[in-house]
Amino acid sequence: MKTWLEVSLSVDGEQAEAVADVLARFAPNGVLTEQGADYVDDEGQGMPSGPIIVRAYLEMNEQLEDTQQKLEESLFYLGMIQPLPKPTYKKIADQNWMEAWKQHYKPIPVGKRLIIVPVWLESPKPNRIPIKIDPGMAFGTGTHPSTQMALVLMENVFSSPPSIVIDVGCGSGILSIAALKLGAQTALGVDIDLESVKNASENAKNNGIGDEFIVGQGSVKEVLENKFHIKRAPLVVANILAPIIIRLFEDGLADLAEPGGRVILSGILLEQEPALLEAGQAKGLDLSERNQIEDWVGLSFVKS
Amino acid sequence: MAKKFKAIVRLQIEAGKANPAPPIGPALASHGINIMQFCKEYNARTSNRPGEVLPAEITIFTDGSYTFVLKTPPAAVLLRKAAGVDKGSGEPNKEKVGDVTREQVKEIAELKLKDLNAIDIEGAMKQIEGTARSMGITVTD
Repeated sequence: MKTWLEVSLSVDGEQAEAVADVLARFAPNGVLTEQGADYVDDEGQGMPSGPIIVRAYLEMNEQLEDTQQKLEESLFYLGMIQPLPKPTYKKIADQNWMEAWKQHYKPIPVGKRLIIVPVWLESPKPNRIPIKIDPGMAFGTGTHPSTQMALVLMENVFSSPPSIVIDVGCGSGILSIAALKLGAQTALGVDIDLESVKNASENAKNNGIGDEFIVGQGSVKEVLENKFHIKRAPLVVANILAPIIIRLFEDGLADLAEPGGRVILSGILLEQEPALLEAGQAKGLDLSERNQIEDWVGLSFVKS
Repeated sequence: MAKKFKAIVRLQIEAGKANPAPPIGPALASHGINIMQFCKEYNARTSNRPGEVLPAEITIFTDGSYTFVLKTPPAAVLLRKAAGVDKGSGEPNKEKVGDVTREQVKEIAELKLKDLNAIDIEGAMKQIEGTARSMGITVTD
């Protein structure tokens, strides 16, 4: 497990960016600044105030001493222009940073019938179909608009449930699990990230799902090569990012849907929608439903 | 009623490469921010600018929600570009790696004025010059 040396300096607004720039030269992962807020008006509305803390994290390895010395020299030089406080150091161990956030994770009702429930909680709404999710390190926790829109669009298609669903870029497996719980007989989830494949598999188990969920490492090409013994389905879902979806069209994403089948795509920013629609139309996809939350768009197509 | 404001966190990270390791993990976990959600949002908005350092300014509210906006690249990155050098000096007081004109400093200051805490262009230029000196980049007239 890695250990990190946290370097921080408390500076005023005028110095913050210059100090951050110096730290960034020695911390390739990036730096951050943080400023608190004072509650100044009658409604408790805050205003940024007080000193700015500039922080960076240096990996503790054999180069650390040398890096630290160079960093202090650079700060000394900057301090000759405007006096700076001495940096403070704190050792911190690498950890699963997701754990702290879990305390804030609450059940989320989605659409008319579903509710996403963190695996460690019971559903507060027994009349809704629960999808138990352990956020882990995979995308698809259910809090993001793109996931919620994909689920709502799926719910609408499931008025007559498709027998098979292919979920490209399955992440946590949330869409595959929802498909099975809504009435699909089989779901195939693929993801290029092995961590996601493991996480999706765990989430399926936590939902009492067995062999009806096939999950593996891969993408469109691997599915078309019949690696998972399912090449085509009446419903294909992909909640990824627009540039990747457009690239996957070239690999044959639309060919995964049967003629007359549905393709649901999410993870699309409003500004990326025209390019995605154009790419989809070129592959024989006709738009049938569109959803938007904030500046994210979800699209449901019929394959001609 | 307006949402209550808790803190502003500004992350200086490379476009398309946000992940839960430091600095993002410790910075956001302490505020209860969904780290993967932020990473996905940031990567979605920046993946078309690979290799660039694009700061994200995250405003965190007391109810645990947040918003973020992308900011202009850091002064050091713009200075390196203007001076035509790959990196700043490790020993800026001894080794100079390049130079920029005061006019170039002014251009950078104008670009970054809205993101700096400077009151006016002179204050912003002072900051940019300070950054240049700390990188071993000489400012010439």
